[in-house]
Amino acid sequence: MRGTVVRTAGLACALGYGAFIVWLYAQQPRTVAQVTGGIQAHVGLYVVDQAAFEEAVDHFRHERFPAARVAFERADPARRDPATQFYIAYSYYRQGWGRLYHDDALYRAGLEAVDQAARLAPGGRFVTTDASLPLRSSDELRAELQRGIDKDPSDFNPLKVFRARQ
Amino acid sequence: MTEAIERTAPSEAWAAREAVVLPLIFLTVALLGGMRVSADGSGFRFVPPPLISLVLAVLLIAVLVRGRRLEPLWLMSNCRAPLENLNGGVVLVTLFFASAQLFNCVAPDAGLAHLVFNTVLFLLLWNTLAAGPEAGRLLHSLLVLFGSAFILKHIVLAGLYAPEAGLTRRVLTVLLEGVTLGTMDGTPQASATGYVAFAAVLLFFVGLFLLPGAPAPGRERPASASLPSAPDAEEILEP
Repeated sequence: MRGTVVRTAGLACALGYGAFIVWLYAQQPRTVAQVTGGIQAHVGLYVVDQAAFEEAVDHFRHERFPAARVAFERADPARRDPATQFYIAYSYYRQGWGRLYHDDALYRAGLEAVDQAARLAPGGRFVTTDASLPLRSSDELRAELQRGIDKDPSDFNPLKVFRARQ
Repeated sequence: MTEAIERTAPSEAWAAREAVVLPLIFLTVALLGGMRVSADGSGFRFVPPPLISLVLAVLLIAVLVRGRRLEPLWLMSNCRAPLENLNGGVVLVTLFFASAQLFNCVAPDAGLAHLVFNTVLFLLLWNTLAAGPEAGRLLHSLLVLFGSAFILKHIVLAGLYAPEAGLTRRVLTVLLEGVTLGTMDGTPQASATGYVAFAAVLLFFVGLFLLPGAPAPGRERPASASLPSAPDAEEILEP
């Protein structure tokens, strides 16, 4: 009888542990905070640090993008909140935007963040409620970032300098 | 063989080993085998096994069965209860993924070195399969195989591509990349990756040592003897 209990408990442990490993390989968390945050999000216990989020949005509005990202990372250490990830992507876009050229490294980081926001949002598309942002959805922001990275003949169009930052 | 196995109640110790200890060991190896800690401080990442690692894992299991270090009938047979068979099946599945991730762990992730390492591992395993060594020698042979691959990747190559490498090492790296036409992949890893890989290799061998194997030659159980539980590793390794 005890042997059966041990075997059943062992089977349950192995299946649970195996599922956790599959989750780790599928989600690819990069830090311990992302692992714990991911688990908390799955059981509905994950919350964003609201004070840090508001501080980050304030930095963002004042164009202090690196400081904004530090605060956003503090607000959402597990990268589980689509709104925070959208703001992070937007900060990369605005910081990397230039009248003559765009910073490809920042744009790529922005793409990664906007993809994460889209993954986390229901239906794979995030729409912000912040009316001050011209690009409202993850699709629009993604397209803008991708356009900045892509190299095509329009890059040599001198009228490009009149384009406005979104 | 199947006819020779008569079903009796296995001991609780063996039940714990088969249902708890072995799956947990092999799952931990599967977890650690793909873990890489970046040298640039961007955290860690988990690398799933490439196809070649799965092929090598199948070959390794064939070698273990051939060398009688693993006796599948001790884990799954029609003489066992369904729950026991489930536990045995979990051991076999976790052993497969642990083996695949161990190959993933001791071989470089990309480039020419990945190809060379995996080809050599494949040939050595095939050779071991053909030679069919007995259980004790097989463990020794596998220890040499994984130990040398570990040293080459995590000590020699990691030393060459370390970010803080000196001038001599930088010159050697440039020469190596020149000779291989730039196909060597030298992504620097944090030293923690090596420690994690060492733990994975060590744990894998503990798991192999605990696997139920066949009795040593000359010590086969008579067909009439019942199968109380899987034999201990010590018993197998006795001369």
